Amino acid sequence: MYAWIWRHLPGPIALRIALATLLVLAVLALLMFVVFPWAEPKLPFNHVTTG
Amino acid sequence: MPESPTEVIPRIEDEPEHGLYGGHGEYGDEDDPYYDHDYDHDEELDADEQPAPDVPADGPVRKTVRTVGELFITAGLVMLLFVIYEVYVTDWISAGKQADAAAELNKEWGSNTVGGDQQRSAHYSLADGQGFAKLYIPTFGPDYKFTIVEGTTDADLEIGPGHYKGTALPGQQGNFAVAGHRVGKGAPFNDLDLLNSCDAIVIETQTDWFVYRMLPKQDEIAGWAEGKGKAAKCATNKVQPLGAPYDKTVGQEIVLPTQGAVIAPVPYGQPPSAGQQAALLTLTTCHPQFSAKERLIVHAVLSRQIPKAQLKAGETPQELKER
Repeated sequence: MYAWIWRHLPGPIALRIALATLLVLAVLALLMFVVFPWAEPKLPFNHVTTG
Repeated sequence: MPESPTEVIPRIEDEPEHGLYGGHGEYGDEDDPYYDHDYDHDEELDADEQPAPDVPADGPVRKTVRTVGELFITAGLVMLLFVIYEVYVTDWISAGKQADAAAELNKEWGSNTVGGDQQRSAHYSLADGQGFAKLYIPTFGPDYKFTIVEGTTDADLEIGPGHYKGTALPGQQGNFAVAGHRVGKGAPFNDLDLLNSCDAIVIETQTDWFVYRMLPKQDEIAGWAEGKGKAAKCATNKVQPLGAPYDKTVGQEIVLPTQGAVIAPVPYGQPPSAGQQAALLTLTTCHPQFSAKERLIVHAVLSRQIPKAQLKAGETPQELKER
């Protein structure tokens, strides 16, 4: 999977590293600001009220 | 290899260096042309067309196993990232919201000067998610200060500790109940389990300071007068078990999430006639840490009320200096 992505990145090695870093950052941002805030209330880790 | 084109020969000299850069040599066993059907046969790749003789070619099984393995590793990383999100990133997001709420409350208190008449009854502008009081727990250090907002929804609690709607307000008879996060989101109640009986919990409103003190814990009640009750904090402030109908209201308890009675005016009991109730403060958070299995509850009772009019400008109650 990761090797497949790497092979399909265009350009010389430096550009590929830059693109791969960008991809990783994009996935991180998606997780931190979209997926986790959505999933968190559904998970039983941090409920603090009674009743 | 007889089928090797002659033009490849100079490239073979480059091969070790090429591999070091993590190009096609990074995953040696993936570089044979059968790995992927859309593998481009551009001349750059020809050098890699000869797998080492003892490395088996990639069949569909090998490819599937590798992909599944990569997915598992990815799932593990995502879970690790979730913990980082829960413990650090939410802290960072909440810190901004808490600062905004505090700034707004300070502005409101500053602009809306309380005249002589209004000192008799505190006025609160209660709007969901808006701050209306400040919480200090001197035991947790001089910088422990949170703005309490109205409401206990997820959005409210992301800003700071939240007041259970409909429960008493600071200083009133009944039960001023506040929920707060224990992990992430600013974690206002992270150390709530470290609070001891007689420790001060100070609430600041626009007009007054209210000093609550944590009630005796269950195991301290029996020998209170001879035991913990003699400690300076308890004796000088006359903290003692409240007696009926508050016999079940102890300083610290761990309850099930369904036990809403802990925030009732008289926890687990029938309230006496209005005017006879004690002024309680109840803090709730999750327990154990990282779990929603139970709730940690701290009950405190009003010990002292100091109208701000009695203090010099900028003066704070001496309780804030307790440790």
